Amino acid sequence: MRSSLIRAVVLLSATAAPALAAGGDAPARGLLDPAGGLMFWTVLVFGTTFFILSKFAFKPILSAVEGREQALRDAMDEAKADRELAAQLLAEQKQQLDAARTDAQKIIADGRATAEKMRNDLLEQTRTQQHDMLERAKRDIEAEKQGAIAELRREAVDLAIAGAGKVIEKNLDDAANRALVDKYLSSIGTK
Amino acid sequence: MKSGFLRLVLAALCAAAPLAAQEHAPAPQAPAADSAALHAATAGDEAGAQKTAGAESTAKKDIITPHITDGNALELPSLNPDHGFATHFALPTGWPKFHIGSFEVDTSPTKLTVMLWISAAILIFLMVSAARAHQRRAAQGLPPKGLAGAMEAMILYMRNEVILPNVGHHGEAFVPYLLSIFFFILTANLLGLVPYMGTATGNIAVTATLALVTFLVIEIAGMRALGKGYLGTIIYWPHDMPLYMRIPISLIISPVELMSKFIKPTALAIRLFANMTAGHIVVLALIGLVFTFQSYLIAPAPLAMAVAIMLLELMVAFLQAFIFTLLSSVFIGLVRESHH
Repeated sequence: MRSSLIRAVVLLSATAAPALAAGGDAPARGLLDPAGGLMFWTVLVFGTTFFILSKFAFKPILSAVEGREQALRDAMDEAKADRELAAQLLAEQKQQLDAARTDAQKIIADGRATAEKMRNDLLEQTRTQQHDMLERAKRDIEAEKQGAIAELRREAVDLAIAGAGKVIEKNLDDAANRALVDKYLSSIGTK
Repeated sequence: MKSGFLRLVLAALCAAAPLAAQEHAPAPQAPAADSAALHAATAGDEAGAQKTAGAESTAKKDIITPHITDGNALELPSLNPDHGFATHFALPTGWPKFHIGSFEVDTSPTKLTVMLWISAAILIFLMVSAARAHQRRAAQGLPPKGLAGAMEAMILYMRNEVILPNVGHHGEAFVPYLLSIFFFILTANLLGLVPYMGTATGNIAVTATLALVTFLVIEIAGMRALGKGYLGTIIYWPHDMPLYMRIPISLIISPVELMSKFIKPTALAIRLFANMTAGHIVVLALIGLVFTFQSYLIAPAPLAMAVAIMLLELMVAFLQAFIFTLLSSVFIGLVRESHH
């Protein structure tokens, strides 16, 4: 069956095929007359080679290549992911930086406002204190003045009494005279 | 005499003439010469060159035919110039024979059988050691270097640029087979360029077998990809035509479709065989010119040409392995994609 197929194949190829005729029964072989033994050995040797190569050569080589390609792809994917992560981190940091800057400005503004307020408060307080002190001083001065006036008046009364006593020691008792003078003096004081 | 060479080359290139006989062949049975073209084409050694050109001389020695055909002896290097710096090592005969129909299969090793063994051994050794190197380097997380790197470059080129684009979707299953075909043919081709060796891929039996295996792979790929639709690749049945047109078209096209199935692997086999054989014939014919002219003075020119042809052969060795693989991929892709 196979041989007839081979013969058909050969026959188709050799359009002018005197070789076949020559090779028929004679031991001589034409260039186009396939030898069965060689075909047998070709099948055997090629089959063995195919089996061994595909099992022990091509499979490990191709799997090594695929492993390397996979590793390369993985590395590329990883690098891409890393790059995306880095970009994300950068954006985040930028945002944080912006936020920090805004915060700082706010803090500065607040500080400035607080300082302003504190200064104003202090100024106000100082002014009030000054005012109070002034008032107190005024009051004290007034009180001292009143005290001094009263003292002076008392001194004057005493002096007057002493003077008057020297003048009229004899006829007038102290109490009646003192009352009289006091009455007089107070009338002066009220006027 | 010279025209004899031309005729020989022409005949071999056309792949039509029987270049069967080898008169002084190392083979135990000396086959009889049966064609006038062969006698005219025989290259002269000292004995042959004494005769006049064109004579029906049996004393002439054919150096080309034994070289391009199979034999029952290996040629090994020797320092003895009387035997052409070669000793012949007879291979064992009488290994089991069996018959497939009327087709006799003699499993006794021949020269090209041994060449197949050698090339397979070299290939397996190189590839498996490359794979080992790959695993060793991959364990360290490094790319391969040296031979393993070169092998990887070839494997990846064939897989990514030739096989996968042509086989089509889910083509990974065919990668090991097509890579094996490529490297097997390449090794055998290159081994044929080594002195004292033979070109296994320059024999129709080898190329026809490889083509036959490829044929089976193509058709099984078609059956698996198309299922019942595989019949559509044999019987052409155009659905978009009226019935009265379909039948005659089908009757005409179906035989063509069927023939194309067989012509494809045939072309593969003949292409590889003819390319590998032709180069060797040209080289031998050029070297034969030195003996034909019986002069050392003429020698540099044919030798320079022979060197040039050998360099060309080096390229052809790669090219033919590549083309065989490329076309196999294309054929597998074609049958898997065909929806009638």
